Amino acid sequence: MTTITAQATEVYQVFIKATPDAIWDGITRPEFTSKYFHGATVETTPEERRSYRGSELRSVVDVLEYDPPRRLVHRWISYYDPELAAEEPSRVSWEIEPQDSGYSLLTVTHDQLEGAPKTAANVSGTGWMMVLSGLKTLLETGEPLED
Amino acid sequence: MDDDRVFKALADPTRRHLLDRLFERDGRTLGELESELEMTRFGVMKHLRLLEDAGLVVTRRQGRQKLHYLNPVPIRLVHDRWIDKYTEHRISALAELKTQLEETA
Repeated sequence: MTTITAQATEVYQVFIKATPDAIWDGITRPEFTSKYFHGATVETTPEERRSYRGSELRSVVDVLEYDPPRRLVHRWISYYDPELAAEEPSRVSWEIEPQDSGYSLLTVTHDQLEGAPKTAANVSGTGWMMVLSGLKTLLETGEPLED
Repeated sequence: MDDDRVFKALADPTRRHLLDRLFERDGRTLGELESELEMTRFGVMKHLRLLEDAGLVVTRRQGRQKLHYLNPVPIRLVHDRWIDKYTEHRISALAELKTQLEETA
Protein backbone atom coordinates (compact mmCIF):
# COMPACT_ATOMS: atom_id res chain seq x y z
CA MET A 1 0.00 0.00 0.00
CA THR A 2 1.36 3.39 -0.98
CA THR A 3 -0.33 5.05 2.00
CA ILE A 4 1.86 3.11 4.43
CA THR A 5 5.00 4.28 2.65
CA ALA A 6 3.67 7.83 2.55
CA GLN A 7 3.06 7.95 6.29
CA ALA A 8 6.64 6.95 6.85
CA THR A 9 7.75 10.29 5.44
CA GLU A 10 7.45 13.81 6.85
CA VAL A 11 8.48 16.97 5.02
CA TYR A 12 9.10 20.41 6.55
CA GLN A 13 10.15 23.63 4.85
CA VAL A 14 11.13 27.10 5.92
CA PHE A 15 12.47 30.18 4.14
CA ILE A 16 15.36 31.74 6.04
CA LYS A 17 16.97 35.08 5.27
CA ALA A 18 20.51 33.74 5.37
CA THR A 19 23.09 32.28 3.00
CA PRO A 20 23.37 28.52 2.53
CA ASP A 21 26.73 28.69 4.34
CA ALA A 22 25.16 30.34 7.40
CA ILE A 23 22.37 27.76 7.47
CA TRP A 24 24.87 24.93 7.10
CA ASP A 25 26.77 26.26 10.13
CA GLY A 26 23.49 26.62 12.03
CA ILE A 27 22.75 22.94 11.44
CA THR A 28 26.18 21.42 11.95
CA ARG A 29 27.95 23.52 14.59
CA PRO A 30 27.35 22.81 18.28
CA GLU A 31 27.36 26.44 19.42
CA PHE A 32 24.32 27.09 17.20
CA THR A 33 22.37 23.87 17.73
CA SER A 34 22.45 24.29 21.51
CA LYS A 35 20.26 27.40 21.06
CA TYR A 36 17.34 25.76 19.22
CA PHE A 37 17.52 21.94 19.18
CA HIS A 38 15.33 21.15 22.21
CA GLY A 39 18.26 21.78 24.53
CA ALA A 40 20.61 19.36 22.78
CA THR A 41 24.05 20.33 21.58
CA VAL A 42 24.59 18.65 18.24
CA GLU A 43 27.88 18.35 16.43
CA THR A 44 28.04 17.04 12.88
CA THR A 45 31.18 15.83 11.13
CA PRO A 46 31.38 14.14 7.70
CA GLU A 47 31.17 10.80 9.52
CA GLU A 48 29.02 11.26 12.61
CA ARG A 49 26.30 13.30 14.25
CA ARG A 50 26.80 13.51 18.01
CA SER A 51 24.18 14.82 20.46
CA TYR A 52 25.11 16.07 23.90
CA ARG A 53 23.14 17.19 26.97
CA GLY A 54 25.54 19.61 28.55
CA SER A 55 28.85 17.79 28.28
CA GLU A 56 27.30 14.31 28.37
CA LEU A 57 27.39 12.47 25.03
CA ARG A 58 23.93 10.96 24.56
CA SER A 59 23.79 9.70 20.99
CA VAL A 60 25.99 9.07 17.96
CA VAL A 61 24.47 8.32 14.55
CA ASP A 62 26.01 7.87 11.10
CA VAL A 63 26.18 10.69 8.60
CA LEU A 64 25.21 9.28 5.19
CA GLU A 65 25.80 12.33 2.98
CA TYR A 66 27.80 15.43 3.79
CA ASP A 67 27.83 18.01 1.01
CA PRO A 68 28.29 21.55 2.45
CA PRO A 69 26.44 23.85 2.14
CA ARG A 70 23.67 22.06 0.27
CA ARG A 71 22.86 18.62 1.57
CA LEU A 72 23.23 16.68 4.82
CA VAL A 73 21.74 13.23 5.40
CA HIS A 74 22.02 11.31 8.64
CA ARG A 75 20.41 8.50 10.63
CA TRP A 76 17.90 9.36 13.30
CA ILE A 77 17.34 7.69 16.65
CA SER A 78 15.16 9.43 19.26
CA TYR A 79 17.66 8.65 22.03
CA TYR A 80 15.90 10.98 24.53
CA ASP A 81 13.09 8.48 25.14
CA PRO A 82 13.86 4.77 25.74
CA GLU A 83 10.64 3.62 24.06
CA LEU A 84 11.38 5.63 20.92
CA ALA A 85 15.06 4.73 20.98
CA ALA A 86 14.15 1.04 20.81
CA GLU A 87 12.51 1.53 17.40
CA GLU A 88 14.28 1.09 14.06
CA PRO A 89 16.59 3.94 13.02
CA SER A 90 15.09 6.37 10.48
CA ARG A 91 16.69 8.99 8.23
CA VAL A 92 16.80 12.81 8.15
CA SER A 93 17.80 14.85 5.08
CA TRP A 94 18.51 18.59 5.17
CA GLU A 95 18.51 20.36 1.81
CA ILE A 96 19.46 24.00 1.40
CA GLU A 97 18.58 25.87 -1.80
CA PRO A 98 19.47 29.53 -2.38
CA GLN A 99 16.51 31.77 -3.36
CA ASP A 100 16.07 35.40 -4.44
CA SER A 101 16.81 38.42 -2.26
CA GLY A 102 19.05 36.78 0.28
CA TYR A 103 16.72 33.95 1.26
CA SER A 104 17.41 30.24 1.29
CA LEU A 105 14.87 27.44 1.38
CA LEU A 106 15.57 24.76 3.95
CA THR A 107 13.76 21.44 3.50
CA VAL A 108 13.91 18.74 6.15
CA THR A 109 12.67 15.31 5.12
CA HIS A 110 12.34 12.73 7.87
CA ASP A 111 11.74 9.36 6.22
CA GLN A 112 12.35 5.62 6.51
CA LEU A 113 10.00 5.83 9.50
CA GLU A 114 8.30 2.50 8.65
CA GLY A 115 9.88 0.79 11.64
CA ALA A 116 9.48 3.75 13.97
CA PRO A 117 5.79 4.75 14.23
CA LYS A 118 6.14 6.24 17.74
CA THR A 119 9.13 8.28 16.68
CA ALA A 120 7.12 9.49 13.66
CA ALA A 121 4.28 10.67 15.90
CA ASN A 122 6.70 12.26 18.35
CA VAL A 123 8.71 14.34 15.88
CA SER A 124 5.65 15.41 13.88
CA GLY A 125 3.97 17.16 16.79
CA THR A 126 5.90 20.27 17.62
CA GLY A 127 9.28 18.53 17.20
CA TRP A 128 10.60 19.61 13.82
CA MET A 129 8.38 22.68 13.76
CA MET A 130 10.10 24.12 16.84
CA VAL A 131 13.55 23.21 15.55
CA LEU A 132 12.98 24.95 12.22
CA SER A 133 11.29 28.04 13.61
CA GLY A 134 14.02 28.27 16.25
CA LEU A 135 16.79 27.96 13.67
CA LYS A 136 15.14 30.65 11.52
CA THR A 137 14.81 33.05 14.45
CA LEU A 138 18.39 32.42 15.53
CA LEU A 139 19.86 32.99 12.07
CA GLU A 140 17.72 36.04 11.28
CA THR A 141 17.92 37.82 14.62
CA GLY A 142 20.91 36.26 16.38
CA GLU A 143 18.62 35.49 19.33
CA PRO A 144 17.20 32.14 20.39
CA LEU A 145 13.39 31.79 20.50
CA GLU A 146 11.81 32.74 23.80
CA ASP A 147 9.91 30.03 25.62
CA MET B 1 7.71 37.67 4.10
CA ASP B 2 4.94 35.14 3.59
CA ASP B 3 2.54 36.20 6.34
CA ASP B 4 0.01 37.56 3.82
CA ARG B 5 -0.05 34.31 1.90
CA VAL B 6 -0.41 32.27 5.07
CA PHE B 7 -3.35 34.35 6.32
CA LYS B 8 -5.02 34.26 2.89
CA ALA B 9 -4.50 30.53 2.64
CA LEU B 10 -6.05 30.01 6.07
CA ALA B 11 -8.99 32.33 5.35
CA ASP B 12 -10.94 29.65 3.52
CA PRO B 13 -12.87 26.70 4.99
CA THR B 14 -12.00 24.30 2.16
CA ARG B 15 -8.30 24.96 2.58
CA ARG B 16 -8.52 24.59 6.34
CA HIS B 17 -10.34 21.30 5.75
CA LEU B 18 -7.53 20.13 3.47
CA LEU B 19 -4.97 21.00 6.16
CA ASP B 20 -7.00 19.06 8.73
CA ARG B 21 -7.05 16.05 6.44
CA LEU B 22 -3.28 16.19 6.06
CA PHE B 23 -2.90 16.67 9.79
CA GLU B 24 -4.78 13.40 10.33
CA ARG B 25 -2.61 11.61 7.81
CA ASP B 26 0.22 13.07 5.82
CA GLY B 27 1.44 12.27 2.32
CA ARG B 28 -1.89 12.04 0.46
CA THR B 29 -2.54 12.17 -3.26
CA LEU B 30 -4.88 14.65 -4.95
CA GLY B 31 -7.28 11.76 -5.56
CA GLU B 32 -7.51 10.97 -1.86
CA LEU B 33 -7.92 14.60 -0.89
CA GLU B 34 -10.67 15.34 -3.38
CA SER B 35 -12.65 12.17 -2.60
CA GLU B 36 -14.35 13.71 0.46
CA LEU B 37 -14.97 17.13 -1.01
CA GLU B 38 -17.92 18.08 -3.15
CA MET B 39 -15.75 19.98 -5.54
CA THR B 40 -14.20 19.45 -8.95
CA ARG B 41 -10.67 18.10 -9.22
CA PHE B 42 -9.66 21.45 -10.69
CA GLY B 43 -11.12 23.29 -7.70
CA VAL B 44 -9.22 21.15 -5.21
CA MET B 45 -6.02 21.60 -7.24
CA LYS B 46 -6.47 25.37 -7.07
CA HIS B 47 -6.81 25.28 -3.30
CA LEU B 48 -3.80 23.00 -2.96
CA ARG B 49 -1.79 25.36 -5.12
CA LEU B 50 -2.61 28.28 -2.81
CA LEU B 51 -1.63 26.19 0.21
CA GLU B 52 1.61 25.27 -1.55
CA ASP B 53 2.35 28.92 -2.40
CA ALA B 54 1.89 29.78 1.28
CA GLY B 55 4.32 27.02 2.20
CA LEU B 56 1.66 25.15 4.18
CA VAL B 57 1.75 22.16 1.86
CA VAL B 58 4.88 20.63 0.38
CA THR B 59 4.67 18.11 -2.46
CA ARG B 60 6.93 15.21 -3.28
CA ARG B 61 6.89 12.92 -6.29
CA GLN B 62 6.85 9.23 -5.62
CA GLY B 63 6.86 7.28 -8.85
CA ARG B 64 3.85 8.54 -10.78
CA GLN B 65 2.16 9.96 -7.70
CA LYS B 66 2.39 13.44 -6.28
CA LEU B 67 2.09 13.32 -2.51
CA HIS B 68 1.03 16.26 -0.35
CA TYR B 69 2.60 16.91 3.05
CA LEU B 70 1.48 19.32 5.72
CA ASN B 71 4.19 21.83 6.62
CA PRO B 72 3.18 23.48 9.91
CA VAL B 73 6.25 25.73 10.18
CA PRO B 74 4.62 28.86 8.64
CA ILE B 75 1.71 28.57 11.11
CA ARG B 76 4.21 28.47 13.96
CA LEU B 77 5.95 31.57 12.60
CA VAL B 78 2.66 33.46 12.28
CA HIS B 79 1.79 32.34 15.79
CA ASP B 80 5.10 33.63 17.16
CA ARG B 81 4.79 36.92 15.32
CA TRP B 82 1.07 37.70 15.65
CA ILE B 83 -0.48 35.74 18.47
CA ASP B 84 2.08 35.38 21.23
CA LYS B 85 2.71 39.10 21.15
CA TYR B 86 -0.91 40.11 21.70
CA THR B 87 -1.97 37.41 24.10
CA GLU B 88 1.01 38.25 26.27
CA HIS B 89 -0.08 41.88 26.32
CA ARG B 90 -3.66 40.97 27.17
CA ILE B 91 -2.56 38.78 30.03
CA SER B 92 -0.41 41.51 31.51
CA ALA B 93 -3.25 44.04 31.05
CA LEU B 94 -5.60 41.73 32.97
CA ALA B 95 -3.01 41.25 35.66
CA GLU B 96 -2.72 45.02 35.99
CA LEU B 97 -6.51 45.42 36.18
CA LYS B 98 -6.66 42.81 38.91
CA THR B 99 -3.99 44.65 40.91
CA GLN B 100 -5.79 47.98 40.51
CA LEU B 101 -9.20 46.58 41.48
CA GLU B 102 -7.78 44.83 44.49
CA GLU B 103 -5.94 47.93 45.59
CA THR B 104 -9.09 50.08 45.51
CA ALA B 105 -11.28 47.39 47.08
